[in-house]
Amino acid sequence: MALLTERDNTTVMGKIRPVRSRNFALTVPALLLLVVFFILPVLSLLLRSVLEPEPGLGNYQALLGSTTYLKIFLNTFSVSALVTVVTLAIGFPVAWALAIMPSRLSSIVFAILLLSMWTNLLTRTYAWMVLLQRTGVINKTLMGLGLISEPLPLVNNLVGVTIGMTYIMLPFIILPLYGVIRKIDPAILQAAALCGATRWQALTRVLIPLATPGMVSGALMVFVMSLGYFVTPALLGGTANMMLAELIAQFVQSLVNWGMGGAAALVLLVVTLALYAIQLRLFGTARMEGR
Amino acid sequence: MTKTFIIAAMAATLGLSTAAAAADLVFTSWGGTTQDAQKTAWADPFTAQSGINVLQDGPTDYGKLKAMVEAGSVTWDVVDVEGDYAVQAGKAGLLEKLDFSVIDKSKLDPRFLTDYSVGSFYYSFVIGCNKDAVSACPKTWADLFDTAKFPGKRTFYKWSAPGVIEAALLADGVAPEKLYPLDLDRAFKKLDTIKADIIWWTGGAQSQQLLASAEAPFGSFWNGRLTALAETGVTVETSWEQNITAADALVVPKGTKNKEAAMKFIAAATSADAQANMAISTGYAPINLDSSAIMDEKIRMTLPDMQSASQINADMDYWAANRDAIGERWYAWQAK
Repeated sequence: MALLTERDNTTVMGKIRPVRSRNFALTVPALLLLVVFFILPVLSLLLRSVLEPEPGLGNYQALLGSTTYLKIFLNTFSVSALVTVVTLAIGFPVAWALAIMPSRLSSIVFAILLLSMWTNLLTRTYAWMVLLQRTGVINKTLMGLGLISEPLPLVNNLVGVTIGMTYIMLPFIILPLYGVIRKIDPAILQAAALCGATRWQALTRVLIPLATPGMVSGALMVFVMSLGYFVTPALLGGTANMMLAELIAQFVQSLVNWGMGGAAALVLLVVTLALYAIQLRLFGTARMEGR
Repeated sequence: MTKTFIIAAMAATLGLSTAAAAADLVFTSWGGTTQDAQKTAWADPFTAQSGINVLQDGPTDYGKLKAMVEAGSVTWDVVDVEGDYAVQAGKAGLLEKLDFSVIDKSKLDPRFLTDYSVGSFYYSFVIGCNKDAVSACPKTWADLFDTAKFPGKRTFYKWSAPGVIEAALLADGVAPEKLYPLDLDRAFKKLDTIKADIIWWTGGAQSQQLLASAEAPFGSFWNGRLTALAETGVTVETSWEQNITAADALVVPKGTKNKEAAMKFIAAATSADAQANMAISTGYAPINLDSSAIMDEKIRMTLPDMQSASQINADMDYWAANRDAIGERWYAWQAK
């Protein structure tokens, strides 16, 4: 990729092709593995959505015709959007700070970030549960300080889900953003200052526009990952803000209604692929052209 | 889970190279303290006596069970499932018929017997309360549904299963003998009145955590989990008023390659001794009618089968027949 972007496409294309197809041959075993163990099972679940309990689109009718399920769809999108916005709001300053701080310090921050990513998801979610509950550390401290008289409802609701998911998603936005911000030439900001831009103008008219590709691709990734999230909403949320992945798990495991489970999974897959297509369209090609 | 299973399987094959390889058996249950007790009370003595090694897997997952049977590659030989599911799955052709020439059914509680399943242990949904956290504890289902008299969060079992709907109807004044068929409209209307104050528990460990931390100072619990919690030093008050019983069942998925060993395991697990030991360590009641005779009197008095005065038996046949319809409505109501 790096080679492709740095050279002129027209001269390179002819030479690159054969190398590419040879490389493709090497990926065949991995692709076969994916087809057998991933794509085929997914297809069979999706097929069930139009075959069980009887052939037809009954499952989709039931899924899209019910206000309860529509509410879950809507909730899935709004929670994902909220998590994306909060993650971006916290992630951008962190990525920026990481890009400009001395490398010894930034490597420590990176270590903390990566360590949290490598810690078991369930452990991290349970830790939040203990921190956020009515009798948890946060509420006890705030009450001890006399700031509140009643415990704040921080868990089993939207607040809990947002906190828990934002925490998990932060590395996925900080890492790509860091890469983009690092590539911005500091001289550009100096130039802006020399030309009389205030700090605010330098931020909003120079830095943010230059970092936008990183922000959008990171945000899309977080949004798409959030759409399919299961453990954190199940543990930190209440039943009133159920998300789609939980509904699918319920269909598959508790109700053993694989037709409906497959239908819900297909809806999620279509939405995710559509978003991925948008991402490729907006940024994938732009990168390939070396812009 | 799969990983632990693979590791366990590898360890077992290495360690037992002399034993017949085909004689291994996989037992699947819900994990936690209950499965630990099942291992100690049932599997370990069974292995010692028969030479058949029992591997533990879990948690029970009905989707997985169905997938195994449909794909014809069954790796679970004996599974602990909910009683109403056992009735339904037997009718759906997912289970092997049990061999009652190996399993002595004359001693087993007939309430939990079908052609495809025997009881595993039985439990009651009771009202539990953390006495240190509140000034007064709810004694009846009506109390637990009364947010004016008992303000605060209360916890209930999250999944669609016998227990919560019955509790709502009893709280609303339905007479125990008029409970079935369940009046779902009335039950959900009653549940609506406390919905904002419910924290759902998804598993036994979580229910204990909620009560111990007083996140929810009272609620409806499996009685055995309260017994276990009291042993850790939490001041738990249990009200057995109109306790609602349900049973887990032992089943054998259709197409298992170890059918014979599975039957032998079930025979051993439901024997009077095995059931008594299980009851002693968990606080759940035995399903073998001879078990109570060999148990310590003091422990026996704490078990659900001694609380029959106001006990209500959840109707497993009703639940098996209506499980899907109730489930759909239940989850839709929760998500509303």
